[in-house]
Amino acid sequence: MIRKLITYTFLFLTVIIAHAENTRFVMSAPNAVETGKQFRLSFTINERGTNLRLPSGLTDNFDILMGPSTGQSTSIRTINGRTTQEISYSYTYILRAKKEGTFEIRPASIEVGGKIFESNSLKIQVVKAQSNPAVTQPGAQPQRGTQNVDLGKDNLFVRVEMSKRNVYRGEQIIATVKLYVNPNINIGGFDEVNLPTYEGFYTQDIEIPQQINFTREVYNDKIYQVGVLKKTILFPQQNGKITVEPFSMSVLVQELVKPRSFFDDFFSNYRTIKASMTSDPVTVTVKNLPTEPANFLGGVGNFNITSDISSENVTTNDAVTLTLNISGNGNIRLIRNPELELPTDFEVYDPRATDNVKATANGASGTKTIEYLFQPRFEGDYTIPAIKFAYFNPSTGKYVTKSTQEYNLNVVKGSAEQSATVVSSLRKEDVQLIGQDIRFIKQGNPMLKTKGYTFFGSPGFYSFYAGSSLLFLLLFIVYRKKAKENANVALVRNKKANRIATKRLKAAAGHMKQNNNEAFYESILKAFWGYLSDKLGIPIADLNRDSAINKLQERKVSEEVISNFAEVIDQCEFARYAPAGGSEARQELYKKAETTISRFEKQIRR
Amino acid sequence: MKNIIVFILLTTPFYLIAQENNSQLWEKANAYYTTEEYQQAVSIYEQIVQSGQESAKLYFNLGNAYYKTGDVNNAILNYERAKVLAPHDEDIEFNLRIANQFVVTKIEELPQPFFLRWRKSVTDKYPADTWSMISISAFILFLIFLGLFVFSKAAAFKRVSFWFGVTTIVLSAFTFSFANQQKKEIKTRNHAIVFCPRVTVKSSPSESGTDLFLIYEGLKIEVTDSLNTWKEIKLADGNEGWLPDSCIVKI
Repeated sequence: MIRKLITYTFLFLTVIIAHAENTRFVMSAPNAVETGKQFRLSFTINERGTNLRLPSGLTDNFDILMGPSTGQSTSIRTINGRTTQEISYSYTYILRAKKEGTFEIRPASIEVGGKIFESNSLKIQVVKAQSNPAVTQPGAQPQRGTQNVDLGKDNLFVRVEMSKRNVYRGEQIIATVKLYVNPNINIGGFDEVNLPTYEGFYTQDIEIPQQINFTREVYNDKIYQVGVLKKTILFPQQNGKITVEPFSMSVLVQELVKPRSFFDDFFSNYRTIKASMTSDPVTVTVKNLPTEPANFLGGVGNFNITSDISSENVTTNDAVTLTLNISGNGNIRLIRNPELELPTDFEVYDPRATDNVKATANGASGTKTIEYLFQPRFEGDYTIPAIKFAYFNPSTGKYVTKSTQEYNLNVVKGSAEQSATVVSSLRKEDVQLIGQDIRFIKQGNPMLKTKGYTFFGSPGFYSFYAGSSLLFLLLFIVYRKKAKENANVALVRNKKANRIATKRLKAAAGHMKQNNNEAFYESILKAFWGYLSDKLGIPIADLNRDSAINKLQERKVSEEVISNFAEVIDQCEFARYAPAGGSEARQELYKKAETTISRFEKQIRR
Repeated sequence: MKNIIVFILLTTPFYLIAQENNSQLWEKANAYYTTEEYQQAVSIYEQIVQSGQESAKLYFNLGNAYYKTGDVNNAILNYERAKVLAPHDEDIEFNLRIANQFVVTKIEELPQPFFLRWRKSVTDKYPADTWSMISISAFILFLIFLGLFVFSKAAAFKRVSFWFGVTTIVLSAFTFSFANQQKKEIKTRNHAIVFCPRVTVKSSPSESGTDLFLIYEGLKIEVTDSLNTWKEIKLADGNEGWLPDSCIVKI
């Protein structure tokens, strides 16, 4: 509903505007005239009006010689079956300027259907009256066809007009190629046109109508018919003085030939001559830009930047577009693409830049759109930093930095299905080598040594070998000696064991005869323990009944002998504390001990 | 003997002072390097080198500082010197490779027989001193096994210690030879770096000799002979010739 209302309102408004524009009341006059010369001041209106009032103060500077003469013209147009009719009424006055100077003609007014409309205002420059150019050469023979003549630099010349002569590098200049013609010379056409090549400039042509419209202009206090041949925007690309080389062109001038006879007047009394002219060189001084800040991308002029992101919440492998828009007035086409610093694991495509620049009389302006396309590969929150854009403003002579907003990109993992289809195209990320440099210095203890010194080959080195060998040898010798000694002692004791045992047994026999019971048993025990100690190589302190039996069993002594031994020992121990039995028992014990030892002697082998 | 002890006692304090100064200089130079004042770092490192001390780390850092000041020739020279002392250091290898990218002359190295390559790769695993330590340790182990072999009574034990003993003595001998090899490399230093931007190698040790080939700065060459102010050199690709010794600096 609201939308409908708005639409209607809008339509209604356009109708009103269209209606308001329907009545056009225009005043026109040449913009430069000479004193004493007649010229026209005309008013046109597309509706019948009454009560035309001339601008006030007009008669102060101009004489009205004639007027108003009214005219009416009707044009009927049929386009696609629709017929439109346009009527225009004109009022023309013939004026003459009274004095030199620049005068403003204020708006005139007219009444149409009870309403008063005002016209535009005009500016007229009035210059001194000038003499007619000497077109004809004295003594020149009349000739048919074309010929090269010089009509004098004052009357016909070309000029390159620069809007500025002192600029910064990259600042735009509007260069206009103008043809100046004395109003009394008739231009028949152009022959050769070599328009200037602006070397050292980046150029952009301003579109002007194909048909050259001559306007009146005052140059060096003279009135000329001026035609604009070409308009170009120049961007200087180098520092210093740049000269626009002279260029040449020739025009065909129609010249009135003085009649030779009365009849000639009836026929062609004009002849065409070719006039060549060369422009003067024009120099432009180009200043270098001050020290460039970072992010300066060559932009000189006045710009604005905006950015836009396609989406801030995406899934992995979605394509995201960040659009950067640089708009303004200046060398937009020469601006390099700003770098977008993206996280390094993004798949980044080359930015695509399009520009839309219009060259107008005010200079080049338009927009440059850069699209950055990238795909986040992994989920997470990323920050896309602001793009900083610096440009040089020649009117202030300073750099201006503008920046876009920062975006936070929230990437979630794509669905399994989606990632499954992507897997085939996924490749392992290599370590991205961004730059190459040597590794950093080593820290810590430098471990300095005298030059050329190595541990190898030094006396210390060899002494390790020698020392360890010597130590080994020493240990070896000592050990050998000790082992030898030990072996000897054991052997001797072994050999002596039987003898000592027999000796002790004999002593026991002596005690037996003396009826010294305690000593008798003692001697037998001593004989046994001493014998076993020597024979088995066990110290006496470590010997007791059980350990002795164990050792004997290890030595493979027969069980019978061992049990005999045990019996003898038991009886002796027992009898020592409880003497019992007579001399026969002792005799028997003695005999048993004797046989046991002799059997030991046979059975214990070394 | 007494004289030697006295001498050592007298010189030790000086040595310690020198050492102390050098470690201060070392810290200072490292600090300069870190703050990117490479020129100062170079001069201090050089001061340490002038004092007659050296180490792989020192040459490495000096090479780095030279590299950063843009003096690639000196950087290569010092990396090579560091490499002699620490043949298997990856950092040295890496930086040397980067510095060598600036060397104009490209040389196809002659392939060496596989056993020489193998031996070189094994020898270069450690510097001379590490090899000596391994050799000594192996020798001591050998002595222990020998002892076990001699004194043990069990036959199985004897057999095991015998074989271990043989292994360790062989190991000791090999590592000794490796150490010897490394030592030889440190001592002979028959390689050099070309310092002249561009030098013509002649067929004989005189200016009038036939021009053989051109080499450019930063190249590592082997010096095989010398005569007066001329040196006979050999490139890694087998080319030989003479050049003035003012053009090269020995590693």
